[in-house]
Formats: sequence, C-alpha cells, structure tokens
Amino acid sequence: ASGLGRRLRAWLPRIVPVRWSRYNPSYLEPEVKKESHQKPLEELTLEEREQMELKAVRPIKAAPPSLSSSVFSDPMISKFTNMMMKSGNKVLARSLMSQTLEAIKRKQLEKYHKAPENEKETIECNPYVIFHQALKNCQPIIGLSNITKGGKTYQVPVPLTDNRKRFLAMKWLITECRENKHRRTLMPEKLSQELLLAFNNEGPVIKRKHVLHKMAEANRAYAHFRWW
Amino acid sequence: TLKLICTTTAVQRKNVGASGPEKYTEAFIKKQIEEFNLGKRHLANMMGEDPETFTQEDIDRAIAYLFPSGLFDRQARPLMKHPTEVFPEQRKIQWGEDGRPFHFLFYTGKQSYYSLMHETYEKFLNVQKHQDQLIAQDLPLQKEKRNLAGSRWLTKIELEEMLLEKVSDDDYSRFIQLLQKLVALPCADIEEKYIQKFSKEVPLQLQKVVIEPLQHDERGVAFSTGEGKRKTARATAVVYDNGTGKITVNGIDMLHYFPVLQDREQLLFPFQFLDRIGKHDMVCTVSGGGRSAQAGAIRLASAKALRSFVTEKEVEFMRQAGLLTVDPRVKERKKPGQEGPRRKFTWKKR
Repeated sequence: ASGLGRRLRAWLPRIVPVRWSRYNPSYLEPEVKKESHQKPLEELTLEEREQMELKAVRPIKAAPPSLSSSVFSDPMISKFTNMMMKSGNKVLARSLMSQTLEAIKRKQLEKYHKAPENEKETIECNPYVIFHQALKNCQPIIGLSNITKGGKTYQVPVPLTDNRKRFLAMKWLITECRENKHRRTLMPEKLSQELLLAFNNEGPVIKRKHVLHKMAEANRAYAHFRWW
Repeated sequence: TLKLICTTTAVQRKNVGASGPEKYTEAFIKKQIEEFNLGKRHLANMMGEDPETFTQEDIDRAIAYLFPSGLFDRQARPLMKHPTEVFPEQRKIQWGEDGRPFHFLFYTGKQSYYSLMHETYEKFLNVQKHQDQLIAQDLPLQKEKRNLAGSRWLTKIELEEMLLEKVSDDDYSRFIQLLQKLVALPCADIEEKYIQKFSKEVPLQLQKVVIEPLQHDERGVAFSTGEGKRKTARATAVVYDNGTGKITVNGIDMLHYFPVLQDREQLLFPFQFLDRIGKHDMVCTVSGGGRSAQAGAIRLASAKALRSFVTEKEVEFMRQAGLLTVDPRVKERKKPGQEGPRRKFTWKKR
C-alpha cells in the first residue's frame, strides 16, 4: 500500500487520495449525446472550442454501462433507478421503474379520455415530462445543517448545491413510497401516485419540502453561524 | 500492488541522475564509449552485417539471438546500449580546488532550481516592463491566445533531468504556476523561446490508433474484426456490411443470449451512435465475466470493428463518446485485516 501511495503521488503532487479511481486524472468524462458532435463549427462559443481542442488531446474514460446514446436512456431516470436498487439488483429496479412509467401513462390516458374537450390539452401524458417536473417541484431551495457552537448544536439554514437538491428530492420520494403505504400496494403503483401528486404540487413529499423551508425560515436568526 | 495503467512512461521513469554527485569519472565513461563502439563492430562482423550501418535495433536483435534468456523481468536480461543511456548524466563537482563553490546559490542546497526561478522571474518582469512601455506609448497590446491544448509542461521527472538535482513536489508546482502566470500575460510572445524550453507538444490522441483496412470474404461482402475486454470477459466481433441488423452471440441470437434490456442497449450503442442500425450484421464470440461484463466487452469489440467502416471524424466522435476506451475498473482485492476490499470487521468494544 505504501508503494501505491508513493506512485500515486507522482501524478497528484499534493494530495494522496483515499478514494481513488483506476483512471489517470488527465482522463476526461465521455460525451454521449449525438447532437453535441453534429453541431457545425460556427455555432460553438469560445469556451466550447477550447473544450473541443482539449478533448482532442486528452484521453477519455470509457462510457459506463448505464449510459447510452439512445433516446430512451435518461441520466435522471438512471440515477433514480440506482437509488431504488437494493443489493445490486438492477434488473428488478429497472423493471419497477418501467412499470411506474407505464402506470403513470395509463392513469393519465384514463383522465384524458374522460375529460371534456376544452381540458384535453392541459393534461400531460408524457411520463418522462411528469417525472422531471415532479422531481423539480420536490427539490428544496434551502437546507439545514447542524453547526455546534459553544456546546449547543444549532440547525442553521444553508444553501444547497444542485446535486444535493436532486438527491434529496429523489431520496424523499423513495422513502415516502417505501414506508407510508398499505402492506399490499406494490411499489410502481405507489410511486406513480406520488409522482402525479408531486406534479400537481400536492402530496406528502411537497409537504415535507414546505416543512423544511418553514424550519429554515424560523431559524433565520442563526444564519450568520455559517462560515462558507 | 496494482499495476499502473493509463500513465505515460515519463511518469514512471526514475531519475537516477539527480540522486547525487558523479559516481563515474569522465575518463571512465569515455573508455566505456570506446569499448561500446568496438564491441558494436565485432558484433556486426559476427552477425555477417555491415559494421558501418549497424543500428541499435540490430544490436538488440543480435543480443537476443546470441544470449537467449527466459527471465521475465526485461531489465534483468542481457543488455547492450550506448553508455550515455546506461550511465545517466550526473552533476560534476560544484567547487574548485580551494573549496570555494562556483555558483553563488550553492549554499541554498538547490542551486539550479533557485537560479531557474530567478531567471524565469526576470523574464516575467521584462515582459511587464515591455507591457508598461506599450501602454505608455498608447499602442495596442497583442492579444493572441496561445494554444494551450496542444502542449503540456515538463513533468517533474523531466525537470529533474534538466536540472540534474532533486525537485520536490511543492517546488515543481510553484515553478509551473510561475510559468502559467508568465504565459497568461498579453505580451508573453517576447519570451516565446524561453517558454518553449519547458513545454512539450502533445500529439493528438487520434493519431496513436491505427485503423485497419476492410477485408472482403468469398462472397465479396466487406467485413472487419475487433477485440474487446471488460473485467474478465474477452470478446471478438466480426461486423459484416450490407446486413439486416442481426446480431449472433456464441451461435445464439442476441435476444435469447441477453434477456436484459440494458445489455442489448449496450450492444446496439455503437451502431445507434453512428446511425447504422439496420446496415450491419454481427457475429461475435465471448467468454468469461458476467452478463454485464460480456455486454461491455462486445460493445468495445464492435466499436473497434466499426472504425474501419467509418470516416476519421466519426472515429474521433466515437472516442469522445467513450466507446473506444478499455474500461480499467476491475474487482478490488480483499485486504488482510478487513472483511472485504473496503468493509472492516465489526468493531467490538471488548
């Protein structure tokens, strides 16, 4: 292990990483979408041109198995499937996800066929759009973090990064579906229910987000404890 | 220990020259060079070749023929190379007969490094003075941006070889920061020659790969082969032209071999990326690994095979999409004293 640390120091002079990757740090992330490669040269801004030149010189990491250039692969959906997965059973998680999307589509189509003519355009039938909008509605804007000062721990309101917001929204949805349901209801059914409620800004997940916002508003006095 | 992958040989080479003052005198090295040249001519005579045009590759081949060795370590086998490669360049004695050192920074311990920093900072001040002069005369500053993507700075080991003394990591990063500051100034073109001493050109990644030409079988159909691997799975793929999009794996249709959607998506990924789904036929053999590893291996093999059918620009796009790199991630080994690669044993208080 010491030999490893010494050799790794050759390419990362100041930090010896605890969490390392099998790739050299000069490797860049792969870009899978077809549109970014088919853009003609004139439309690119200066930054994008520099990025392109850099990419031409540096080696690039291999694309992971969950990523693909087809229209059906969505990074948010794969992230959500990974979070739903238990003990590495990706097959089950993927099937649950597809059953959820199917259930959403069925429910929306039922509503569509029952609705009168003038309301038919307002009903959204695309399950991907519903999923993305529901997640966006569930994302908190501000979070709380525990800061210990003078022996006491205070809940201090703190801004959240995009990644953290998305993670919290997905985590709340999943825990909500796993815990607060009747013993006999299956996961896809409950998830589709929650997603549709979140899409309309109702439901327990949205309530949890509002509760968090209210707590942050109440603890506004401690905001100056944050030093970052 | 983990075998280092995805690094350049520049990072792995050890710098012997900077370890200390010279161990070999100049006379000794001269004698070695004479002996080497003589030995080269004798060897050429022995092999029946012309002594005048006997290159290093011929020497290596001759030695491997005359002294066959079954040792695994390449560095332990018999070697005949020019003495400047075998005995690395080392610093001469830095002080005269009276004991007084030649260089004024000798007592800092890192004289060449500090003198280099001194010089670089002098150039920096020079450029700033020039810039101030231009501003005073109200002339426009040159704003041509230097192309940073095609060049890289010297690595720490290359810098050590240049200075012939050890450079610490902090010192190296300070030097690189100073060079970057110098390059960032608008009028840095004056010191272009000085900066070129410390930068090296990086060749385009695309040129490192050799694309094989298409082969044709008996019926005149063009095809090409590719090999791929992922974890423990090894796959070979043969992609035929004028096909219907049928994929056969180990003699079984892909629908039956890969019941999971994700694996089939991975198989079709290269074809979908190049918009050639119904145009090619594929026959592949795969062994080892699990279901996902086999799919990844076939994906790499088919992407490598498709390189021969496609223009260079599209090969570059495939490379940037991550289709042509071998995935180096493998199962991490279990360590002693721990239950798994990362998981530790349960901590019990008593």
